[in-house]
Amino acid sequence: MKIKEITVVGANGALGVGISAIFASFGDVKVNMISRSMEKSEIAIEKAGNSVKALKVCDNMKPYTYENLEECLKKSDFVIETIVEDFNEKEKIHKKIDKYLKKGAISSSVTSGISINDLSNCYNEENRKNFMGIHFFNPPYSLPLCELIPAKNTDNFVFNYMKDYLAKVLIRKVVVVKDKPAFLANRIGFMFINQAMQYAEKYKDNGGIDYIDTILGKFTGRNMSPLETADFVGLDVHRAIVDNIYENTNDYAHETFKLPNYVLDLIEDGRYGTKSGEGLYRNNDEVYDINTEEYRKKRNYKIDFIDKVIEKFKIGEYEEGLEIILSDSSTESEIYTRFLIDYVVYSLSISKEIAENVFDCDTAMAEGFNWIPPIALLQFIGEDRFKEIAKKYYDTKFINELISKNLKSNYQYEKFLKAKR
Amino acid sequence: MEKVYILGGAQTDFERNWSKEGKNVIALLKEVINSALKNVNLTYEDIKKLNKQNKIAVCIGNFAAEYYINQGHLGPLLTEVNEAFYGVPSARYEAACASGSVAIDSAISKIRLGDYDLVIVVGFELMKTVNAKVCGDYLGRAAIYEREAKGIEFPFPKLFGKLADEYVKKYNLDEERYKENLAKISCINYGNAKRNPNAQTRKWFMNEKQANFRGNPTNEKIGSMLSISDCSQVTDGAAVVVLASENYTKKNKLENKPIIKGYGHRVAPYEFDKKMQESKDNEYILPWTREAVCDAYRRANLSVDDIDLFETHDCFTSSEYMAISAFGITEPGKEYEVIENGTIDFTGSKPINPSGGLIGCGHPVGASGVRMMLDLYKQIANEAGNYQIKNAKNALMLNIGGSATTNYVFIVGK
Repeated sequence: MKIKEITVVGANGALGVGISAIFASFGDVKVNMISRSMEKSEIAIEKAGNSVKALKVCDNMKPYTYENLEECLKKSDFVIETIVEDFNEKEKIHKKIDKYLKKGAISSSVTSGISINDLSNCYNEENRKNFMGIHFFNPPYSLPLCELIPAKNTDNFVFNYMKDYLAKVLIRKVVVVKDKPAFLANRIGFMFINQAMQYAEKYKDNGGIDYIDTILGKFTGRNMSPLETADFVGLDVHRAIVDNIYENTNDYAHETFKLPNYVLDLIEDGRYGTKSGEGLYRNNDEVYDINTEEYRKKRNYKIDFIDKVIEKFKIGEYEEGLEIILSDSSTESEIYTRFLIDYVVYSLSISKEIAENVFDCDTAMAEGFNWIPPIALLQFIGEDRFKEIAKKYYDTKFINELISKNLKSNYQYEKFLKAKR
Repeated sequence: MEKVYILGGAQTDFERNWSKEGKNVIALLKEVINSALKNVNLTYEDIKKLNKQNKIAVCIGNFAAEYYINQGHLGPLLTEVNEAFYGVPSARYEAACASGSVAIDSAISKIRLGDYDLVIVVGFELMKTVNAKVCGDYLGRAAIYEREAKGIEFPFPKLFGKLADEYVKKYNLDEERYKENLAKISCINYGNAKRNPNAQTRKWFMNEKQANFRGNPTNEKIGSMLSISDCSQVTDGAAVVVLASENYTKKNKLENKPIIKGYGHRVAPYEFDKKMQESKDNEYILPWTREAVCDAYRRANLSVDDIDLFETHDCFTSSEYMAISAFGITEPGKEYEVIENGTIDFTGSKPINPSGGLIGCGHPVGASGVRMMLDLYKQIANEAGNYQIKNAKNALMLNIGGSATTNYVFIVGK
């Protein structure tokens, strides 16, 4: 088994471009890029070259349209579909792929919301063994996480070959996860973001969206605050992900995935976030006020503990910064502490349920979201202390079972804790 | 003479941009010192005790903190890291990109004299505080500024581009083949960096096709025949090694730690053109670099045959090319042989830069010399993880300042 030539179906979307580039560069394989028109594919090729800062790799990429699907598949050792997140559309294309797939070639789908097992039914018995889900994160060049999802009938050898190829040749950080809604990283990440949306509503009189974003800002272990991230992702995309989780899972955090009404209203008004110019935020300096349903100037909230923590982080005094947070009794520090505990607890619990290894939640959040890895955060707080605080919100037995052994992260927490609001 | 041991050390992740994180030099130093002390099993209490007897010192290597972070008088900086450093003799050493080495050199002398048992050597540079052009201008101060850098955009790529031109001329090389050799050097370094968890470029893509694709928008020409792929990139970072006396290692049963077996330190004519004038009739293009290597071999009583790996100063691919013959791996002018036949690859018999070098790791100038020493330590102590060269017994580093003006070589072994 050797991958020399591949086909990317739906190559002109953001992920299609990014994924084509990763194969054409690190893999140095021929990439057939299929979009709705030649023009779209040609533009995608240039974008792909630029996405890995190496235009020479464009030599490895060839533009095609759906009319060339058969021709492309007949010469491809691997095919990856990255079209719109719609089961019927995906089903149609996978049935075609099944028809034309070269003998022994591997087929895959990039999805964050559709069941890999359901898609595997598009394939005949033979081809089904070579089908799996691969979830890349956008943009792949800077977010190397790859969630790899076997379907029930995926052949072990083929699956392990792909796992190895992604890690060693394409320099991806691979986690193997079960075929569960939104898989690992998004399940954890969107729990956090949606909970932030809910808290914005709950604390709308305190300021709402920008108030919560200030409390959960960069200093809490991320490059971008959660509600800003939601705007960046697109509120419609956010909705699709949390709705899918809400409808198809039923864990203890179920209600955290319920989309607040004000977000629904924004989506109905076509205010999707960055891509439509307005969403939770507008321009750089305005925010949606949930009470008045109007945009207003962002506020510079005076929250003492945040400024103090940032001063400590600035000089590398992380533990002292943590002390300030945990000993502060303001509403804001309580909200922050609650989120921090929920994040770690949910990460561990979901990781145990759907990942191969509990540490995969660290890889998922660090390499897919650029967020502080939950186990690294747990270690930073200290196991005993964490348990003590968590018992305020959770059943003691549940917490003790979850944090039952010495968890040691492979990641360091320091670089994630920015000295910034 | 007293033996000088390396107990270990630490480096920061060279991928990090401390300005983006909002953190300052104290945070940088605090993190690297804390990890280094942990690595060598030292506490701040131990430092206090050693300092009571005046047996511990600190040497800090840094090039241009005055410009990058508006901070001079760097010797006392560690007193901001922990009060255990109150009273510890500490000073800053500067030799451009070889600042780390001049700090190590001084630390070695302090231990050899018998005055100190332990010297903590810190190299650091925060460079992401300014944009690339301003950064290039600051770096120009490592050349004769008035004549070689003032008003010139990116002076150093131009100086090392000149070195490439002179090389082709002096040894009558086929220019296309030479450029392909430089591209291969770049790729070996990028490739090696993939195994190094602290390398700036560990997620970056480079291959020979792209490295040979000079002059396009993703690999712009920057100095004569050199393009971006031929350059190491500036970054933020700090590295620490802890050196110890024989007395200390005996007391603490650490005699099995690697030792510094030899060194060489030579200074060449400052201006690049004068270097070329001086070496016109010499078989080496940069004879003082070669001389520093020979001095180190002589002092260590070793030859190139004894060296299992090299960490070199590949600020540009043309400087690594030059280093190959300076090390004695080939005759001058024959470097292409070992580039083409795999000798200097990670799996070759004379691997150069298993860490990824400056091109792969990134080049925070004041930190690089110390980072190289740390990497030699890791290789000899068998602690280099994924980039470990098997059975490494002796390793050599070359750290240069300016256009190979200050040349520092150290050999580490057991």
